[in-house]
Amino acid sequence: MTGIASPSTAARIRLVAGREITTRARDKGFLISSAVIVLLVLGVMVFQLLAGGSGSSTTIGTVDGGAQVEQALVRSGEQVGTDVTVTEFADVAAARQAVADGDVDAVLVGGAGDDPQVVVESSRDDAASGIAGTAVGALSVARQLGEQGVQLTPPPAISYDVLDPATEGNGQQVVVALLGVVVLYALYILFGQFVAQGVVEEKSSRVVELLLATMKPWQLLAGKILGLGVLGLIQIVLIAVIGVTGALALDVVDLPGQLIGTVLTVIAWFVLGYALYASIFAAAASLVSRQEDLGSVLTPTTLLLVVGFIVSIQAAQDPGSTVATVTSFVPGMSPLVMPVRIAAGEAAGWEIAVSVALMLVAIALVVRIGGRVYAGALLRTGSKVKLREALRAERA
Amino acid sequence: MLEFDGLHKAYGGNQGLQGGGVTVAPGQMDGVCGANGAGKTTTMRIAMGLARADAGQVRWRGQPLDEASRQRIGYMPEERGLYPKMKVAQQLAYFARLHGLTAADAAAAAEHWTERLGLGDRRDERVEKLSLGNQQRVQLAAALVGRPEVLILDEPFSGLDPVGVDSLAEALLEQCRNGVPVVFSSHQLDLVERLCDAVGILARGTIVASGTVPELRAAEGGRQLRVVAPDALHGWAGALPGVRVVSEQRGDTLLELGPGTDDQAVLAAALRTGRVTHFGWREPTLVELFREAVAAPAVAA
Repeated sequence: MTGIASPSTAARIRLVAGREITTRARDKGFLISSAVIVLLVLGVMVFQLLAGGSGSSTTIGTVDGGAQVEQALVRSGEQVGTDVTVTEFADVAAARQAVADGDVDAVLVGGAGDDPQVVVESSRDDAASGIAGTAVGALSVARQLGEQGVQLTPPPAISYDVLDPATEGNGQQVVVALLGVVVLYALYILFGQFVAQGVVEEKSSRVVELLLATMKPWQLLAGKILGLGVLGLIQIVLIAVIGVTGALALDVVDLPGQLIGTVLTVIAWFVLGYALYASIFAAAASLVSRQEDLGSVLTPTTLLLVVGFIVSIQAAQDPGSTVATVTSFVPGMSPLVMPVRIAAGEAAGWEIAVSVALMLVAIALVVRIGGRVYAGALLRTGSKVKLREALRAERA
Repeated sequence: MLEFDGLHKAYGGNQGLQGGGVTVAPGQMDGVCGANGAGKTTTMRIAMGLARADAGQVRWRGQPLDEASRQRIGYMPEERGLYPKMKVAQQLAYFARLHGLTAADAAAAAEHWTERLGLGDRRDERVEKLSLGNQQRVQLAAALVGRPEVLILDEPFSGLDPVGVDSLAEALLEQCRNGVPVVFSSHQLDLVERLCDAVGILARGTIVASGTVPELRAAEGGRQLRVVAPDALHGWAGALPGVRVVSEQRGDTLLELGPGTDDQAVLAAALRTGRVTHFGWREPTLVELFREAVAAPAVAA
């Protein structure tokens, strides 16, 4: 007889995890949902880009303008936060045609003279005509002051004293964190389902008996959770990389350093939350033998997720609220609420530490109890196993 | 040596397993028969560590089975189980690796057993797409693919067509010749009789009879002698000492001989009546032995 060494615990867990990864990575449902999440993130960024306040610009034509008029137009555009591009036209007819064609938003004729005129396509284009009007006014004042011999010196530069620099640009961080939480929520549901379906698949197909003849229940559970966890981590990192790269490329964020910090926080919370939810989902799923019964055992946990998600959206608007503060300590809800509070600069260091510690305690408890439930219920096929029975009947 | 020793297990109000033992030698094929609910599956599940015995143990080479030695057992559960969405060869290689084979060995073993069991052109199909008979073959391959040193198979023949039965029987005999003890349970007693070196009959949670088929026959008290003497008068054997007539019908007599009664004396008496066309011990089939053993109130043989 050939002496084949029995695989080590680590080797078994690796084998199980490897199977989970390879079979899931080929799964159509997985690929589609991944694509949807990536598209969602990209969509939000494009939306940010289009709706962003700093992005407005306008094109104004001039006739008989010159460098002075052009400068005046650009400067008065800056005052209302609009980039102004100036185009010089040879005569009024060409300029009118350009307005009619929509090549320019407005044309300023004779801006430096005594009889300035603004051509617009309709009265609604008042942003451009307003800028033109301001420019004409400024030019006129400068000219009259010059005629009186007044020398203009530029106003002194103002230095700003910001009392709470931490909240600087937090609006953007919160948006990023919220987006991260949406991704977290989607991944918890998705991968929690994967774990649960996997457990029930093994139970309903009864392949579990063959598996448990070669390994212990906890090894099977660990391999399954780790394998899918690695897949989930790859996915969230991928989403993060796409998101951050896209954000930097499209220039939607002002502070790339803080953006990356927030993204890393979200990823760290993914790991904690996944460990908790995957264990609960696996234990719950082991109680039933059919995919159809899965809903009933997963509902309580899913509810916790949904509530956490709703609170985190609220926290984004009011990160200092009591609800947000309290729930950011509740294990299971904290992975969704805490990242938002951290991004808003509302969470103190000790708060984060306590929240993480509570989460770790919860994970340890769930893994212990859940592991027992799983081991007790795994070989009991047929009707739904009661939780108490499963706890009592480990390998009866 | 694979030894099942004094296994006890209570199941709620049922009697469950109540001791009894079987020993299977290397290279021996052992069939376990028993009525439904007699405890065959429970016994095998205890051996595989899937159920815990209240008392007793299963030993392999003198050592109680533990996690490491169970790795060397090829197991086919009564409730068939495979990943429905995994491809045949992939799945078998996975099981082989769980039994400790390297990736390359596992792939080769999957290749070998699919070929061997007539699944060569089904390797890349998902298990759920296969016919039940072919799924059964994959199940068997899953038990064999890890180069087992012991085979424990729960009802391996159920659901197979005669061709499948033959190829399975052949594969098992080959394993057996290689020194692998094979234990399987079956309701098909003719098959057990044909294949097995030893038989254990399980009833009411205990082994009521075990041994080779000839041993079982010998142990069966009151063997019957059939004598056909067409010319004999009715009641010809009634007067012979130590002989009880079980039945007699137109010269076809069934006799039961007491201890120490000489069967040659019976033959001589029969010959005195005229022609004797048949004289022989009637060998009970395993089916009859089984009925006898199961019907008798629990007396361990």
